[in-house]
Amino acid sequence: MNILVVLRMIPDSAGELQLAEDGRGIDREWLDFQLNDFDDHALEEAILLKEGSGATVTAVAIGEGANRVLQMAAARGADEVIALQTEDDAMISSRTIAATIAATARAKSADLVLCGVQSTEDVFGQLAPYVGALLDWPHVSGTNRVLPDGAGLRVTQERGAGVAVTYEMALPAVLGVQTASKAPRYVSGSKLREASKTPIGRATLEPSGFERSAEIRELRLPTQGGSGEDLGNDAENVADRLVAILAANGLARK
Amino acid sequence: MKMIACTEGRSDRVEAFSLEMINAARSIAAAGDEVVAFFAGQAAKAAASSFGAADRLIAADAAGSDLIPAEAYARLLRDTIAAEQPDLVLVPYSANGLDVAADIAARTGWPLLSYVNEIKRDGESLNVVAQMYGGKVLAECVVKLPAVLMVNPGAFEEAMPGPVDAAKVQQFDAMPAIESSRVKMVAIDVPDYADVDLTTAERIVCVGRGIGDEASIDIARDLATILGAEIAGSRPVVDNGWLPKLRQVGKSGQKVKPKLYLALGVSGAPEHLEGMSHADLIIAVNTDPKAPIFNVAHYGATCDLFDLVASLSDRLQASPGR
Repeated sequence: MNILVVLRMIPDSAGELQLAEDGRGIDREWLDFQLNDFDDHALEEAILLKEGSGATVTAVAIGEGANRVLQMAAARGADEVIALQTEDDAMISSRTIAATIAATARAKSADLVLCGVQSTEDVFGQLAPYVGALLDWPHVSGTNRVLPDGAGLRVTQERGAGVAVTYEMALPAVLGVQTASKAPRYVSGSKLREASKTPIGRATLEPSGFERSAEIRELRLPTQGGSGEDLGNDAENVADRLVAILAANGLARK
Repeated sequence: MKMIACTEGRSDRVEAFSLEMINAARSIAAAGDEVVAFFAGQAAKAAASSFGAADRLIAADAAGSDLIPAEAYARLLRDTIAAEQPDLVLVPYSANGLDVAADIAARTGWPLLSYVNEIKRDGESLNVVAQMYGGKVLAECVVKLPAVLMVNPGAFEEAMPGPVDAAKVQQFDAMPAIESSRVKMVAIDVPDYADVDLTTAERIVCVGRGIGDEASIDIARDLATILGAEIAGSRPVVDNGWLPKLRQVGKSGQKVKPKLYLALGVSGAPEHLEGMSHADLIIAVNTDPKAPIFNVAHYGATCDLFDLVASLSDRLQASPGR
């Protein structure tokens, strides 16, 4: 099995996001970029499949810090790593990169494309269904377990409310991974150093082939706080207030 | 303008967000416009008896299949789009919708906006508000028709349930599409709620990524015990294996409506808010003052959560009358 896994570097949403001066993007200058969490799980699922059935894994990374994350991917077991060049300071739109990912899947004779089910920048649509539709391969999003099954796969998908659905599907296929079968592994410093020698291939973005999805006229931050009351940042004061609030709401006693 | 509102169901029931999709379409429909509900699944009968807010219902009946694989759903929807030539297709942001929306957009070449909260008409285009960056940013977008929108559950009110005029129901067999799907459903696992059922819990203490590590869960668990509350977690906490799946709140976990929801170190991604924003009393503690959880919290605090849990536990244990 040849697996292509997609690793997108996205702004750290836990950090503070500031809007760019033109109001149409976020100010990317001081942002920390990190691997999309779901893509990290996709990478782990790829490595688990490799360990289970001897697949080869090609990792494609996109965005700021791609080289660093590709070294990490190599240390975790990726056989080949490729950095996909994009325009500086552009958000990573899954709609825009889908054609390039599909072309790479064909070029690498991939049987399986794995990516995270979502990213925080996929407002124009999610990568797995775009790539699946472009290749006309079946796709399943929101997976939390992927196992080899004869010539195909046995895939479990989360459906909400704890309901899980298991599918059998033939290859080739595209999966949008929500959670890997096991939590992503840590890699040691020595493995990372060893992997830093792995040559990083280069590729450039192809035209998306799609018309632009929408014009973003303006970004804004949601109204903060709603009607909620700010209790401040002093733990002792907050605790005093909460005891009173619980009592006032009839929640003081069990 | 003709709009298709995509709806879903499992087994013999329709999903509540189906009525939201119909209402979202209805909310921008002008005189002479048509709202067509599209359903694919086993609950075609339930769809016909509850989607009356739509002008018509096109129902692909999957009698004999509890759920329908997204690939089959998308194929049936594509056929419907080809026959109906709509201007707008509304897809719910659901497990199924995640596979359907971009598939349709890719194969039609139409624009797609995801995580949509608001839709307004503006001549031949739509002004749409969509969420980005885990709900921390809202994007005001202009979309040209025809287009696909993936709409957040909870963003629109539910339409009034009622029967669709029998003459306005067009039903056909979904099984050929299911049988020819390259994705075959082999099992559905519905959890056993015998041990814990968050959906009926009156008090919930929920920990998020901010709890830091597995050992710290115990501190929150102790507070939950003092409060007589169930302990719960957001997706990252459950994905890390720190709490069992049945204790997950949010889109892929449980939707809860307790009297008390104390969120500790939960940032409040839209998928989490979907599962808990209707709780009676929401108290959120997070050191990031811009965390979206504060947008739904009745009370918010930005202190260190461990300091607070310690102080609050002390006071509750010491309080007389307990």
